[in-house]
Amino acid sequence: MTANEVVELIKKNTPVPWNEGSRRDRFKAGSPEVTVNGIATTMMTTFDMLKRANAAGLNMVITHEDTWWNDPDDTKDLEENRLYKLKADYILKNGMVVWRNHDHMHAMKPDYTVVGEFRSVGIQGGESATMRPGLQTIPETTFGEFASRVKRVSGFRAIRCVGDPQARVSRILLGPGYATPRMSPEADVVIGGEQQEADGGFDDVEYVLDCASLGKPKGLIMLGHVVSEQAGMEDLANWIRTFIHGIPIQFVPAEEPFW
Amino acid sequence: MKRISRRSFTLMAATAASVCAAESLNAETVVRRLQTELGGDWPSTGPDGFKAGDPAIVVKGIATTAMATLEVLKSATKANANLVLTCEPTFYGRAEGRGLDDPVLSAKHEFIENNRLVVFRLRDHWQARKQSEMATGLASALGWSAHRVKNDDALYEIPHATAEETVALIRSKLNLRGGLRAVGDRKAAIRRVLLHPGSMTPAIMWQRYSEVEMIVAGEVREWENTHYAADMFTAGEKRALVTIGRVVSEDPGMRVCADWLKTVVKEVPSQWIRVGDPYWRPA
Repeated sequence: MTANEVVELIKKNTPVPWNEGSRRDRFKAGSPEVTVNGIATTMMTTFDMLKRANAAGLNMVITHEDTWWNDPDDTKDLEENRLYKLKADYILKNGMVVWRNHDHMHAMKPDYTVVGEFRSVGIQGGESATMRPGLQTIPETTFGEFASRVKRVSGFRAIRCVGDPQARVSRILLGPGYATPRMSPEADVVIGGEQQEADGGFDDVEYVLDCASLGKPKGLIMLGHVVSEQAGMEDLANWIRTFIHGIPIQFVPAEEPFW
Repeated sequence: MKRISRRSFTLMAATAASVCAAESLNAETVVRRLQTELGGDWPSTGPDGFKAGDPAIVVKGIATTAMATLEVLKSATKANANLVLTCEPTFYGRAEGRGLDDPVLSAKHEFIENNRLVVFRLRDHWQARKQSEMATGLASALGWSAHRVKNDDALYEIPHATAEETVALIRSKLNLRGGLRAVGDRKAAIRRVLLHPGSMTPAIMWQRYSEVEMIVAGEVREWENTHYAADMFTAGEKRALVTIGRVVSEDPGMRVCADWLKTVVKEVPSQWIRVGDPYWRPA
């Protein structure tokens, strides 16, 4: 089976109309005509992840995020870049091929990135979550205790929190990656991957700091972009196994980048 | 507070200025003076400008800050500084997308009105100074002022230390809590450091990471510069990318802004109000 044939099967089985105009969901490196020995699903095509996929004999990478360090994977300014040449060479020499599935994963019901994120942080009931899952209620606790539990359950290293650790919280709003939802009047805690700190779409860092000054119980948990969407790529691998048979399909996580 | 249209604001400000310019210093006069000193165009569509309060208010003192949070506004009030110059937005985002029906936003407006404060955003024009105080201020806070390589670049050659040791020094010098994150080689021998307060684009990272052993930036996007630094580490490069937080990276530069104001506006005191690291790590 070629990489192109794998992609055609994914398009055929995706329960939403395929948008051929997506600048994200397309081949990013290697030849679509390469014969696929095995598929690795991953959150982001890091160089480290590529090496581990190759060592496991998986030469097709299906990635949620970019390969070339910018969202549209534009490489025109990278032709002379040493790291670009090294990574591109590695892909070529090892007969690998990289294809991205981002927009269509988020359009699917459920959105596996969100399903995986709920599971990672230990909140029940996210099995059929979509990209905007709405509020989840947990037994009331303090924000500090809840954040500690998220850290313990997820094992993520670089979780950052804003807000009063003593705030009583129970209503959780969660979103994947950069689609960290805006704090709403109904929510006590927002959990996301990443968000511009200030001068962005809604500056929730400042908003939650001001909530603390006013005694309003609110908290923000930033998990990190990669780790927030990572677990869902295992769900994607399981889903692909339901219609592609005879070749190994494995989840190969991208490393959590921070110390 | 009633929102004032830009046109009626200009009329009001002009009237106010002509009435009281002689006897006292109002916010509009102070702003006009610093606009003249800083130079450049001040288009009404730019981020810099009055954000809240009445520009005709007589200024008793000036406070500069990286971000006008409620805590900062409270400190300014206590310090008798009623004109606040902020680098970042006051009302939650570039587009100021929350309406007055938002209880937090309306409480903030109320605080500003009740305490007769005026908030002016000063970002682009302060950052555009060729003296680049946002970077030199950060260098000074880190104790690296004497190590600048060239006058026109934020490149510093610091005393030898490992990446881990340099990160520990940054944490301690800037009084950080949980916002700093580092990627790359912990054991790398650090000599050349590029400082980049605020947000760093991938184009700058691609161009400059190979010239230095460490970049210290305010914030980057994880799928861009963090990904690049992680791949450099996999490729065996002995470097590290350290993000300290956007506001934390802008705090020291706004301190320098207060010092500069003292030379431009001598009639009233100017002071800097620190925001500090907004993040903490769960236990």
